[in-house]
Parts: sequence; structure tokens; C-alpha cells
Amino acid sequence: MILIVVEHDQGALRKSAFELVGLGRSLAIASGARLAALVLSAAGDDLASELARYLDEVHLVRDARLDPPRAETVTRAVAHAAQTLGADVVLLPASRAGLAYGPRVALRLCGSLLEDVTSVTFEGDTVVATRPAYLARVSATVVAKAKPVVVSVKPGAAPIAALADTSGRVHPLAVPFAAEDLRLEPSARQAVVKGRVALEEADVVVCGGRGLGSAEAFERQVVGLADRLGAGVGATRAVVDAGWRPYVEQIGQTGKTVTPKLFLALGVSGAVQHLSGMNRSGVIVAVNKDADAPIFRVTDYGIVGDVHEVVPALAAALEGPD
Amino acid sequence: MDFALPEELRALQRTVRSFAQREIAPIAAELDREPRFPWPSLRAMGALGLLGLTTPEADGGAGLGSLAAAVLLEEIAAADASHATIMSVTSGLPQALLVRHATPAQRARWLPRLASGEWIGAFCLSEPHAGSDAAAIRTRARRVADGFELSGTKAWVTGGGEAHLYLVLAATDAGAGARGISAFVVERDQAGISFGAPEAKLGQHAAITTEVRLDACFVPLEQRLGTEGQGLVMALQALDGARIGIAAQSVGIGRAAFDAALAYADERQAFGVSVREFQGVGFPLADMATRLEAARLLTLRAAWLMDRGRRVTKEASMAKLFASEAAAFVTDAALQVFGGYGYSREYPVERYFRDARVTRIYEGTSEIQRVVIGRQLYRDRDRAEAPGREAGA
Amino acid sequence: MTIVTIVKQVPEAEARVRVQGGALDLAGATFVLDGMDEYGVEQALRLREAGEASEIVAVGYGPRETEQALRTALAMGADRAVLLEASGLDDPLTVALALAEVVREAGADLVLVGGKQADWDSAALGPALAEALGWPHVDWATAFTLSGQAFESVHEIDDGSETLRGSLPLVVTTQQGLNEPRYPTLPNIMKANRKPLDVRPAATEESRSAARSYAVVERERRRVVLEGDASSAASELVRRLRDEAKVLG
Repeated sequence: MILIVVEHDQGALRKSAFELVGLGRSLAIASGARLAALVLSAAGDDLASELARYLDEVHLVRDARLDPPRAETVTRAVAHAAQTLGADVVLLPASRAGLAYGPRVALRLCGSLLEDVTSVTFEGDTVVATRPAYLARVSATVVAKAKPVVVSVKPGAAPIAALADTSGRVHPLAVPFAAEDLRLEPSARQAVVKGRVALEEADVVVCGGRGLGSAEAFERQVVGLADRLGAGVGATRAVVDAGWRPYVEQIGQTGKTVTPKLFLALGVSGAVQHLSGMNRSGVIVAVNKDADAPIFRVTDYGIVGDVHEVVPALAAALEGPD
Repeated sequence: MDFALPEELRALQRTVRSFAQREIAPIAAELDREPRFPWPSLRAMGALGLLGLTTPEADGGAGLGSLAAAVLLEEIAAADASHATIMSVTSGLPQALLVRHATPAQRARWLPRLASGEWIGAFCLSEPHAGSDAAAIRTRARRVADGFELSGTKAWVTGGGEAHLYLVLAATDAGAGARGISAFVVERDQAGISFGAPEAKLGQHAAITTEVRLDACFVPLEQRLGTEGQGLVMALQALDGARIGIAAQSVGIGRAAFDAALAYADERQAFGVSVREFQGVGFPLADMATRLEAARLLTLRAAWLMDRGRRVTKEASMAKLFASEAAAFVTDAALQVFGGYGYSREYPVERYFRDARVTRIYEGTSEIQRVVIGRQLYRDRDRAEAPGREAGA
Repeated sequence: MTIVTIVKQVPEAEARVRVQGGALDLAGATFVLDGMDEYGVEQALRLREAGEASEIVAVGYGPRETEQALRTALAMGADRAVLLEASGLDDPLTVALALAEVVREAGADLVLVGGKQADWDSAALGPALAEALGWPHVDWATAFTLSGQAFESVHEIDDGSETLRGSLPLVVTTQQGLNEPRYPTLPNIMKANRKPLDVRPAATEESRSAARSYAVVERERRRVVLEGDASSAASELVRRLRDEAKVLG
């Protein structure tokens, strides 16, 4: 059977949940396997009920110890569910959280891990996936050699699932948490300002680089344009290191991977580490005053010029007649 | 015969290459446009040990040999020629002379500060009217009670006004020519030393160069270095090592230009193909690579011989002559590969071209190197013919 | 207290990675100590300088050339090194099981490992190593302090950051922002050659997953440069995004 682990935030399922349902469905159809989803929550059954509109079998672990989520409690819950339900494949989102508990689940189940994949299929009985390697300069085809197979799936790797005809059932599941699952004591969670679309879920991303010159200029040009476009805001490592923007907005090797339909790079030079986080975007636009900047090698449309002149002009052009 | 660098030297090279490319190369263009003595990056170089390469560890240096110094200087020069010049001077001249000739008290007073980069050292030999003809210097050191009084003007001093320590050559016996010159250490804060405005130069803008003026500058006896009258002999000896340094620097600048040209010729398209496909580009690239390789081999061999305790006057001059001429050729050819962009300040090749030019001039012009080599040819022959000596040993 | 810091040798970020007949071709690439691991080595040194650690052991897994990365760690200040020699890319779970043995043998209470490996683009090694040891882990740490056995760490999570407290043992995955790694000094690079480096074959089980083939990721891009002044280039861009690429409404 195929088990999907869904993530949620502030009472709503994340976009990745619907992508995993879509992916799970196609894998289930191809292999004839049973499909189920797992919801981990400290409160409320609403999420499980909503998910049951998409697939027949939903398992809900409701436990106060899941808040705030820790890699170890989630590992315990997912591994327990996978064992109890007899999962052959566990699909989970390749979020920071998923990348942290995924390897632990795989090892605890004595299975294998296909990490951060961009596609996954069955070849007969074998699970095969593709994933980026070498700072996303190449794509590797990887084969699982032990079961069960834990697969963490990159955001945007699968289309969003549509509602199913039937409504499924929600099954409660109790997990035997242990004291050792609670060894770390979380405190002082600092969430970034909400209200803007999450970076990984955005259809349009506006990303700023050091070429902006200052935190104020970043706010004015990049955030300003993002707000106008309803876009997510991204930043390069240099910007984050300079303290202009928080780490959660970083795109690249150590930050997030994004695959929006449109990616606008403003004052971004295009270091390999950065490209690895955005080179699968649909259409890439770059504005940079250095015509020789590596970013122009991966762009669809480039403007060689000063971001401080081009961005206001762009804002004006967007206002103009269609 | 083994041409491979030992692994420990390659480990040094990897670290310094990474340091130079990350910390120095990115600021080179700006330093060229807005010249200033690059103190922050010099401090960082000092922390690594790059400003006291051949000074013994006991004196606060890195304790490396000439071969290592040449390899590492090439790395710094490939990132920025100005840094390489400052490094080459402070490490190669004042420190090299102190290491060889200083009293224990002098060593303890100056070497740790210089080797760590806390202080930068400068070398004052050339004068407005005496460049290649070093014995003709007019700066006088007059004997007074407890010391000397120095008067005169020194030209082309790298780090003038910025460096803390000045190794000054002055005539103690005006009638004795080359044998009447002595070496003195003057500190920047001493009375009687002052500095001219930075010279406006073709290249290497961050390696600030000024005149140094000595006006009845009192120098106590304990600041004379080595034996009286031996100053020029000592300086010329140290110049062998310094010339290997300039050779290594030339290779470094040339390499930076060559690498830029190689990448550009691959990327730049014309008539539907990479321009490297054209012989007009491919052949110069081949010539550039060949000359660079030859220059590097001459340089490393001279350094290697020096580490074996050999007198390398001829080899150092050959390396310096060939490498500086190669750097001129390579930077010019690289600029040509870039076409119009090569002439533009948007790209770094025109800077390499300007920075390389002086390598044919300082520490002895190409013409002087030929004089030195030519003289050595007969000395070597005469030595070989002398009974009881082996040629080439 | 002993700290183990895991290091890996990876191709430089700027290195060209080619694929020939589905196989990876790294010929000509320069290999370096993975930048992510460097933060771990630096943090270990700082903890020792703060008097919280007595011994730092750098441990590598990979081909013989990994010795270079280990020598760099030694030059930065690690006391000794162990290399589990293995050819090829084993999956992080397999590597973690092998490394766990070395960590236990060293009697370490703290393991520092890079947040993401620059070759396999994997963030799995740290969590997997913690699992293999039965320890908790902190991933993507940007601050870490230790007082005896008690630690406090700030780490990045999906929507912000979080502070975690607890007591050792612990695995921490490191990244930029945690510290600014030092360059080894030239004399220390020379001395690193005389520090103990123990090379032994990695006795691992069979890899649980393996790469079968590689392909170069390169999407065809239009690579159009829009000419003209800012306002005409911007208008042209908006027009093309609407009419040609159809990504704007």
C-alpha cells in the first residue's frame, strides 16, 4: 500500500498535500496498490475530514505531543503508521520538516530513502525516481533497493489533485510515543510575517540579489513588485547573509527550491548555488546591470539595466493597457 | 626528476587559491578604480601567514621555502597584482634581509611584526636619478654621535606612507661606490622621514607608490643592518629572491588573463560557432598557454635551486626576464581575444594588461636582466674551466 | 568531551559536471571540503576554544581523495582524523550506519555535519546518523551554544526559526549563518600532515538505493535580451510575458 503523509499549517492543508494525493493516486492506479493518507495533528479533525473528500482512507493521529512538531515525534508516528498499515511506499513532502524526519523513518523501517525527488514511478515492483544532484546541475535516476520505500517529493513535482467522487473514512490511530521522542524542548518559534503567499506555493516569485544595494531598496523594489503581482518573495544567499532578509526567504542550495510559473530575478548574479534552487522554474526573467552575469545564461527574458530604473518602469508597464 | 609539486605544497596552494579568489579577486576591480592601500585584505593575508612566507617560524613567519613562496605568490597575483606586489616586497626584501643579517635584538624587534602583517615593510633603494645604476645613489648617511643622520630622496617606494618599516640604502662612504653603501631600518614614526603623494601609475593602483624623503633623519646605531659598507651587496643578494617573486607574479597575472580569454573564446559566438573554433583565436591561446607554462617552469626551477642553497643570480634573472615578457604577451593577446570588450573597463583584461606592464621594469628592467644573464654566462664558463670545479653541479 | 565533525570531499561549485552515456563525468573538476561541513568544523573549534570540548575528530567517508578534505579539517584545528574508504556514492542511510560505528568508538557526545551535501544534494546524512545512533538531532542550525551537557540552538524551519534546548548527545546539521569558517594558516597546513589520519575500509552493507543514470538538467531557455531604455524594455517584457510566454494575465 501507498501511504501519504500530509502537512498542514494554521489549520489548512498545504499545497504539497494535494500534490501528494495526485501523485499517490497515479501510483496506486499504476500498481493496483491501496492508497491511504496520514494526518498528524494536535487538535481538530477538520483536516482529516477535508482530506477524506480526496481519497477513501485517511488515518488521523491526534495527539497533543505533536505540537509543536518535532522530527522525532513525527518519525515515531509515521513509522508506526507505516508498520501498522503495512505500507510499501511512504510519500511525504520534501519540506524542511520532511527532509528531517524522512531519513529517520526510512532507517527505522529498515527501508530505503528516495530523497527530494522530482518524479517517481513503479518499474514492476521497483520504485524508481529522479532527483537533482551536484547542485541541481544534473538529474539522477535512482532506484530503491530495500522496502519499504520512503520518498520525499519536491514541491511542484506533481499536479494538484482534484476532488474525488466518494467521500472516504477517517480512522483514528494511536501512536505509542516514548519519552525519548520528547528529548528536545522547542521554544521561541519565530514565524516570518504571513499574509504573503508561501514561497514554495507561489505561481510567481520575485527574487532579489545583492544588486539591490540595501535592505530598503530590496523592500521597495522586490517586495513592492511582489505585492503588486501577488508573488512570493525570495532572496539570494548574499542578501540573507547581509541581514536584509530572513533565512526563510533564501532560494538555493541551503535555502528553498522553487518552481513557479514565473521567476523574476532582480539584481541576482546567478551563482551555481542559487541556480540550483530556481532553475526548474517555468519562465525566468532577469534584470541585472552586468551583461556578463551568469544569470543571463538561464533566462528567457533579460534586461541589462539598473534595477532601480527597470523595476519602476515594469510596475508602470503592468499598470498599462493589456 | 619530478615535476609534480609535493602534496603538502598543493595543500597550501589550494587554500591560498581559495582565499585569493574569494577574498581578493572580488575587490580587485574596485581597488583599481578607487586606489587605496588594501589594509583589510592585507590583515587577512597576514593572519594566514602570507606576509612572512620565508621568515622562520621562530621569528613569527610561515617558515616556507622559495618554491612555496613562488607557488603562493602566483595565486595572489592571479587574483590581484597589487596585493602580490605588496606581499612580494614586504616578505621578499625587508624581511629577507633581516632574516639574513639582523642581530638577535633586531630580529625580535621587527620580524614578528612584519611576518604577521601587523607591519608592512618597504624597500628604499631607487632614487629619482639612480634606478638601474644602484651604486650611484645620493642618499647620505652621516655618522653622528650614537648613530647616523640620513638625507636624500628615495623613489618608487611601494607602500610609501602606509608601511611602518623602511629598509633604506644610503652611502656611508661616498667615495667607495658600491662598497660604501650601508643598510638602515627607519620606522615611519621617526622624525625626519616624510612621504610624497602617491604616484599616478598605469596599473597596480592599490600598490601605492610614493617618494620617501629623508631630511637629517636620525637613525640610532642599533638600526643599522649588517656590516657598514655591505648594504648594496646584501640588497643585490636579496634581489635574486625578489626577482623570482616578480617572475611568479608575472605568471599569476598572465594566468588570470589567459583563463579569462579561454572562457570568453568558448562562450562568445560569431558566425554561429564559438570563436575558439577560429584559428585566429585558437593559435594565440596555444601560444599563451605555452609561454605561461615555460615561464612557470623557469620560475619554479629557480626557486627550487634557491631552496637547495644555490646562488641563482642567472636563473632568477632568466625567470624574471622570460616571465615578465610572457605576461606582457599573454595579457596583450588576451585583450585581443576579447576584441572591443577587451578594451573596455567592464572586463578585467585591460587591467591585467596594465598591471603586467611594470613587471618588465621593476626589480631590474628586462634590459638589466639581460646584462646580468650575459655577465653570468662568462662567469659560469670561467668557473667551469677553473680546475677542480664541476660544470653545472 | 569529544566532538566528531563529518567532512566530505565534493566538486567545487563552479566545476563543470558532464554526463556521458548516462554516467557522470567529473574529470577535471577540483574537489574541495564541502562548504556546509566547514561550518561544522569551525563550530567544533569554537566550542573547544570556549572550553566545552577537549578533542575534535574529523571523520570522512568516501574515496581516498577525501583525505584532502580531512587534512583541511586538521589544518583548521581538528586533532585527528578517520577516513572510511569507500568507492562510489553510497546512499546516506548506508553511510550513516557506517559513520555511527566510528562515532561510538570515538566516544563522542556531539556530531556536527553539513546540512546538505553538495554532491548528492542530500540533507539526509545528519538525521540518518542521529537515527543510527539513537540520538536526537537539530537540523539547519544557525546558532549553537553548549554549557556542559546542556545545549541551546536556533535552527531554520519551514516558516521561520525555532529555538531548541536539550542535553547531549546530539547530532547538529550546520549551514551558513552559524559562523564564519577560518582559513587554515600556512604553518598549520604543514603541521596537519603530521597529525594522525587513520584510513580503513568502510565495512558497509549493500546500498539501499542507488543512482542508475544521470542526465544534464538544462531547460531550453529563450535567452532573449530586451533592448532599449528601461521603460521600453519593461513594456516589451510585459507584452512578451502576456502574449508569448502567457504567464501573466
